[in-house]
Amino acid sequence: MNLFRLQWKATFRSPQWEAKLSIKIIMGFLIVYFGGAFVLGASVIYPILFKTVLDREPLEVFNSVLLYVLFFELGVRFLLQQLPVTNIQTLILLPLSKGRVIRHILFKSVFSSINLTPLIIYLPFAISMYRDDYLFDEVFAWWSVLLLLTLCLNFLTFLVNKSNWFFWTALVVMVLVVLGDYYDLFYAAKKAGVLFDLLVQHPSFWWTGMVPLILTYGIVFRYLKRQFYLDKGLSVKKEQVRQNSFSFVDKLGQDAFLIKNDLRMIARNARPRQVMVMVALFLFYGLIFFTQEIYRDMTFALVFAALFVTGGFTMTFGNYVPAWDSSYYPLLMTQNISYKDYLLSKWNLMAFMTFLAAILSTPYLYFGADILLLIWACSIFTIGVGTWVTLAGGLLNKTPMKLNAKAKAFDNTQAFSMTQFLLVIPKLVLPVMLYGIPAAIFNEAAGIFTLTSAGILGIVLRQKIAAWITRWYIQQKYATIAAFNQSV
Amino acid sequence: MIQINQISKTYDNTTVLSIDALSLAAGEHFGLVGNNGAGKTTLFSLLLDLIQPTTGNITNNEIDVAKSEAWKSHTGAFVDERFLIDYLTPEEYFAFVAQLRHVSNEELSATLAEFASFFNGEVLDQNKYIRDLSKGNQKKVGLAAAFIGAPSLVILDEPFANLDPSSQIRLKRFLASEVNADKTLLISSHDLNHVTEVCERIVLLEKGRVLKDMPKTPQTLKELHEYFSEQ
Repeated sequence: MNLFRLQWKATFRSPQWEAKLSIKIIMGFLIVYFGGAFVLGASVIYPILFKTVLDREPLEVFNSVLLYVLFFELGVRFLLQQLPVTNIQTLILLPLSKGRVIRHILFKSVFSSINLTPLIIYLPFAISMYRDDYLFDEVFAWWSVLLLLTLCLNFLTFLVNKSNWFFWTALVVMVLVVLGDYYDLFYAAKKAGVLFDLLVQHPSFWWTGMVPLILTYGIVFRYLKRQFYLDKGLSVKKEQVRQNSFSFVDKLGQDAFLIKNDLRMIARNARPRQVMVMVALFLFYGLIFFTQEIYRDMTFALVFAALFVTGGFTMTFGNYVPAWDSSYYPLLMTQNISYKDYLLSKWNLMAFMTFLAAILSTPYLYFGADILLLIWACSIFTIGVGTWVTLAGGLLNKTPMKLNAKAKAFDNTQAFSMTQFLLVIPKLVLPVMLYGIPAAIFNEAAGIFTLTSAGILGIVLRQKIAAWITRWYIQQKYATIAAFNQSV
Repeated sequence: MIQINQISKTYDNTTVLSIDALSLAAGEHFGLVGNNGAGKTTLFSLLLDLIQPTTGNITNNEIDVAKSEAWKSHTGAFVDERFLIDYLTPEEYFAFVAQLRHVSNEELSATLAEFASFFNGEVLDQNKYIRDLSKGNQKKVGLAAAFIGAPSLVILDEPFANLDPSSQIRLKRFLASEVNADKTLLISSHDLNHVTEVCERIVLLEKGRVLKDMPKTPQTLKELHEYFSEQ
């Protein structure tokens, strides 16, 4: 109970509490929205399976891929779930038994929003089952076992994150299962599915789900207890130093060392690495839209998709300039570098990454030359206009960033502001108009032309625009330093 | 070198610093002492234009620090760990600062060579990021970086704190050797022995005001001890 009170104070006395509250509200809406979307998605799985697969029961089909669903969930947890471990260093010396502190950590982890999956995904499916012709106890057995397995995954996430040995074992097992299925060697997923089928036939065995849960809880508990020393599990892992990394950047020119520093920052810290995963995923964003015929005539959807394919880096990384440098902002402010050079180096980095993404997007040619042209026009627009809007908007974001900590899923309290959220609108609406209006009046080529011209204008005038934004940055200098000075 | 005119800093009606006039000659070694809350760090932050003065201004080599950025090229500083980039190795960090200050690799090596005994073999070639170094070694990195590019003014806040005794003595020797180098040095310290050994002029701050401004004499240390024991 004491530990709980400590947590309570930590939350309410945090300098970002008010910011956190507004973010919580926005996030609340987003969770409701995405939660609703998932619930809707999950509730149509059953009827769709019912209609499309005629020779087998929908439940059987779903059960046979459940193992993959669980694998996927573990992967998502590994990337996104923040474990409440590092906050407890101060508790080590206090007269609390280790067991109690660890129980508190494990208990706290259960309240992660990721643990809502049994409600959001499995419950709608279970309800569909009940409305078909399954009995209540059958449905209950199926659902409760999945609930218990979700909790299992929750605790396993500790092991995946903290133990290299477990991480690699889990990865090898997953790869083997996938390969076994793919090459018709053994059908682990189907066999696991049979187990779930059996469970529905014998619902009184629902308690068997407790066995893996108790086992994993015990293993994780013992593992954490052994790690309960400052130099072990509680500390952030010391990484192997990568010597001379990115020295090739030096060849790019005089001021390239600032870019080199940014690349090192991205490579060596958890938070920016997480952002880069998002950037890579954005490259595939177009597949959602370009594969569907119905979007072919929706200008908005096409431009939207094309923007995200190459603009991912600008939208995710760029949003947090200058917060990325918050932990050493006073150094940059007293060193021999002008704000303008600083901003231009960030612009160069974003331009380079967008250009790289444009090259990597070449396979979209498969969907037609017009699509690829649109993607490229959007990338030029991003380089020339989007980057500047992002840089100007980043200044509004004065929450310091903890570089080497992962962001929490749905609880992104680190460096996020409402104003920035609103800035997404010009970044997305403007290009849609620049393309859409000429395309509607004349033809698509005219749209591509205006979009590209806007981008080229921004590139040509970059010195002027940088000088202009610099004025803003200088105005905000003291406020920014003071804000970054707050502990996260 | 430095001219402080009518400077004051007020937060919510509390004046934390108020200095009418204070000037530093070029080449002077200037020590700032005072208890916690005396305004030492506030003064340094004002000197480095990290906070905005409520009134007055500070000129550094006749450049108003709040109006121009030109003072940055001849000023080196280490105030706290926010002057370090913790995901770099010490070598990468030194190279980064050297590039910012347009210093060649040869000059950088020469500067670092002066710190070889101060580093005591625990800073360079460790294959560690700065965030994985001990507090004392992190401090050594920051202190050395403040001297890269031969700045004519160096500002150090609490340079002796967190250092082990041998390193404190080595640092003292190094700072004393800079007397002839025509370098203006501005340091603050809680350690009266160190500050009286290194500096020729000592200013005692109390609650944001200059209480004493004295050249170093054999009596200085005694005088300071008397002041602080009465507090």
